[in-house]
Amino acid sequence: MSRMVFSCRLSALGLLSAALLVASPVAADTDELILLDGDREVVLSLEALREQADVEFRFYEPYLTEEADIRGLVFRDLLQEHFGEVPEQLHFEAWDDYEVTLGGWDDPNWILVTHQNGEPISLRNRGPLRLVERDYGNRDPANLRNFNDWVWMIRSIEAVW
Amino acid sequence: MVKPHRPWRRHVHWLSLSLMSFVALMLLIAYQTRWVYPEIHAYFSQSGNLTGQQLATRARGYLQEGLDQLLSSPDDQETRQRAYFQMTLAYSLFDIGLYRREYDCTGPSLAAMGELMDRLDNGSTVEAYHLRESLLEPMRCLTQIEMHQLDRRSEVTAEFVEQTRRHQGQVLAGSLVIFVLGLGFWSMHEMQRRRAARSARESLEWMTRALRDPLTGVGNRSAMQDDVRTSRGGSLGLLLVDIDYFKQYNDSLGHPDGDRLLRRLVQLIERALGNEASLYRMGGDEFAALFECRSDKALGDICRHLVEALRDAALPHPAHPHSDSVTFSVGGGEIQGWVR
Repeated sequence: MSRMVFSCRLSALGLLSAALLVASPVAADTDELILLDGDREVVLSLEALREQADVEFRFYEPYLTEEADIRGLVFRDLLQEHFGEVPEQLHFEAWDDYEVTLGGWDDPNWILVTHQNGEPISLRNRGPLRLVERDYGNRDPANLRNFNDWVWMIRSIEAVW
Repeated sequence: MVKPHRPWRRHVHWLSLSLMSFVALMLLIAYQTRWVYPEIHAYFSQSGNLTGQQLATRARGYLQEGLDQLLSSPDDQETRQRAYFQMTLAYSLFDIGLYRREYDCTGPSLAAMGELMDRLDNGSTVEAYHLRESLLEPMRCLTQIEMHQLDRRSEVTAEFVEQTRRHQGQVLAGSLVIFVLGLGFWSMHEMQRRRAARSARESLEWMTRALRDPLTGVGNRSAMQDDVRTSRGGSLGLLLVDIDYFKQYNDSLGHPDGDRLLRRLVQLIERALGNEASLYRMGGDEFAALFECRSDKALGDICRHLVEALRDAALPHPAHPHSDSVTFSVGGGEIQGWVR
């Protein structure tokens, strides 16, 4: 059973928005993941997500060009838990202001990575959350273009129905 | 056991090969359109995704932004925090296995950036030489990576274009070969078809010739038998005409004149009986005419009409023992309700 902790801040949304507007990027809380579904906003604690991470495997990480021990969550399960079902598409915002909208998430192969080689990942190593494919088949890991749909430094995820 | 001759099988064979060639050509074109072009598009269209812009370029941008902030207010805490954040982003995009492995400057640059980030984090003073070593050197390294990666991308693109050009050349050549083969097979089919048609036409001509009397151009005995056999029933009138003393005619005037007399007789009979009747040479100087006949009276009328026409012609016969002109023996009969 998931032990994830999340807090709904609907009542304090206005206050939070105002605080974010005046805060510098570094002051933003990198220990949280924001889930957006229309007007509904859910803020998940990264610490809770790290504790919830129950999938562990070792694979060749193309961007590291070496084997790495990965720990994380099945992304599809997280989506179902918080959105009720897997949205058709998701709009991601990353800490480096990278934005992308992608579909095809109803697939247990996608892992939301929280740890790498036993350590929680941070902004400094493309964290604090990263989406990777556990099994990338026979795609050539030497060609990074094959992994363009991996998402790093995830700050918020918005459901696009 | 002799297998039945089936010429159509040979035609179908060429036709099938031809159709198969054109189908193969269509499949090749479909393959090019459906799979190859999207692959090329996917290869070159990289904007807006994770590696659409070089990671090194993005990292350098964050470093420049951090440097700008530190140069503007090096002692301001908030500015230092923002610079730290920019450097963290730069570090994460710089710390790529490919860069570490292929560019020697990557490791030292990341170490230098790490030191500066530690200084910013623990509140230590940041001097100009710190910035030079921890930001300018990594920027140079990133620029070097960018340039090299751009060169490599150009090489890969050129190679890809060359491969694509070669591939398209092969496809074009293959398409032409298949097209020419298809045309060749079609030509073979067409030749076979024309040959078969010519053969059928010739057979028909030979069959027609076999039923014709070459001297007079009318049907022969076989033709008459066929016509009687294939008639749809009803009453047929039959007239038989024989030239009297024809041997004497030939003996006195010669066979060429005898032949001319036969042809003249045919003309006379045809003129007398009209287009309704079919005329046949039964052999020698014997002729027969077949026509639709509804009654005995009609048969008698036609018979009399023919006799009169022949008499009126008064063809000279110098060797006739009883007359100065050619005489004929004419007989008629009716074939009632003839059914095959």
